[in-house]
Amino acid sequence: MLGRILKDKINKTWMLICIIIIIIIPLLLIAGLCYKSSFILEKHSLTELLFTKEWSPWNNKFGFLTFIISSMWVTAFAILISAPLCLLSAIYLTQYSKVIYLKIIQPIIDILAGIPSVVYGVWGILIVVPFVSEYIAPVFNADTTGYSILSGSIVLSIMIIPYILNILIEIFKTIPDELMEASLSLGATKWEAIKTVLLRKTFSGIISSFVLGLSRAFGETIAVLMVVGNMIHIPHSVFDAGYPLPALIANNYGEMLSIPMYDSALMFSALILLFIVLLFNLFSRLVIGRYEKKRF
Amino acid sequence: MNKFLPILLISIVLISGCKNNSNKASSDTNQLSGSISLSGAFALYPMAQKWADEFMKLHPDVKIDISAGGAGKGMTDVLSGLVDLAMYSKEISTSEKQKGAWGISVTKDAVFPVINSHNPYLKELKTTGLKKQQFYDIFISGKINSWDKLFNTKGKEKINVFNRSDACGAAEMWAKYLGKKQEEIKGIGVFGDPGIADAVKKEKYAIGFNNLVYIYDINTRKKSDGIEIIPIDFNENGKIDKEENFYETIKEITDAVKTNLYPSPPSRELYFVSKGKSNNKIVIEFLKWILTDGQKFISDAGYVELPKEVIQNQLKKLQ
Repeated sequence: MLGRILKDKINKTWMLICIIIIIIIPLLLIAGLCYKSSFILEKHSLTELLFTKEWSPWNNKFGFLTFIISSMWVTAFAILISAPLCLLSAIYLTQYSKVIYLKIIQPIIDILAGIPSVVYGVWGILIVVPFVSEYIAPVFNADTTGYSILSGSIVLSIMIIPYILNILIEIFKTIPDELMEASLSLGATKWEAIKTVLLRKTFSGIISSFVLGLSRAFGETIAVLMVVGNMIHIPHSVFDAGYPLPALIANNYGEMLSIPMYDSALMFSALILLFIVLLFNLFSRLVIGRYEKKRF
Repeated sequence: MNKFLPILLISIVLISGCKNNSNKASSDTNQLSGSISLSGAFALYPMAQKWADEFMKLHPDVKIDISAGGAGKGMTDVLSGLVDLAMYSKEISTSEKQKGAWGISVTKDAVFPVINSHNPYLKELKTTGLKKQQFYDIFISGKINSWDKLFNTKGKEKINVFNRSDACGAAEMWAKYLGKKQEEIKGIGVFGDPGIADAVKKEKYAIGFNNLVYIYDINTRKKSDGIEIIPIDFNENGKIDKEENFYETIKEITDAVKTNLYPSPPSRELYFVSKGKSNNKIVIEFLKWILTDGQKFISDAGYVELPKEVIQNQLKKLQ
């Protein structure tokens, strides 16, 4: 009898150990980053690091503002392109088209999610960069080589489509048909029914899917650094080159040990990245929470 | 059997994970065996490959792994113990020396400013060349940002400046020639030496800089299709004299670098760096071989041989 109880307890402990490991690893990661960044935080104040423009590591000047702004530009435009595309596609796939199309499209979207980042980068260099410089830029009278924020945003928007679209489709599928039919029977047109019933009920889910896409876009490294131009200046238009935070880390970790404080600065930028993504998540939860409260 | 199968599989995985520390070379010099790894500058990559191939022919039990990721990556890798030797294409700084970097110079090469061969101003550039101050204004200050500022023409095509996005020797050396640092070059950052050569070959109005080996074709000994070098007007007299015109074949240009007609910077010595003087016998033998027999492969590969005094100094260091 004791043997069976013991076995039960042991099995429970295995699972507990597993979940502890899963929780501890990210905490260790954050602790490591904080420790490594502490060296640069001792010598420079937080405002100086986050809000100054000058980036000359050999002169001990570390101003991350240009990189943060570049990151925000690329991510914002990626979401601007991708979010409406995904939302409207999800609505069409779940509400208007035949069920068979949804079944065919979903594996295709999963394939998109599985394509390695570097492949997107190479596609970006071969197709997107010349496309931007030869077709899009002349329309706006801009002169650019094609290596720009816009190219980065286009590549990024394609990369985050699978994440946003899949979640949206799942959410829309949870709305029972009867609810839509009820509003249609009261005289609403299909679009009115979608607007007032479907979108309203799934609003929190839509927001959280956009935030997921945003966090993915913010941290995407290789594909973006291959097309974004890597110029250290504040971009004044989408046709300017930029230099997002992940690209900074990926391009310069080679110099890390050669210039004093450089490795600490790069760890600090990783910490900034982490922090911003956490902020986005927190913000989306607040929005969702407030929305839920209002409705009930 | 059902219970034993998972245990069997786990033990197979664990045992195959154990590796002999094959970096330890055997004590007999004629029978060197083991493997070493190199990483670093694109500038040294073709030369290191040739040397590794020839060395492995002499010592069939030795394996040499080479990867290129830029000089900076090589230094980081060797200082953190990931590789045995770093291929380094710039001067080793004091802070790197403090961290233990120990370098042996193995050969010499140079960085050149390049443009697209279909650039309409190519003919003029070849006759007048450009002075250091003009390069400074194109690459660093940005004052000369369109081709009409160099020549009196009607068109206002912008000069598209390309830079290296990775931490590398080529950019550092070119910037050093202009008196600045790599980060101060204002241009679109592309990854890798082949990357910037490609970018210049694709864009008619592009300008960039490359290592010798990525401009010239080793087989034809002339420049590759699509890329051309801007002659540098060293004596600043506004035209390229006969002595300054040595860009047609690899032999002319390596001779110019050797005799210092092409100054350093932008030409420079290339180093193999280890963390402290290496304890690995294969590494020491490889370095010794490079400084003696290995030097004869240098001119075929398009690099510049080291002067005899430098070789003697390096060999003394290795004793």
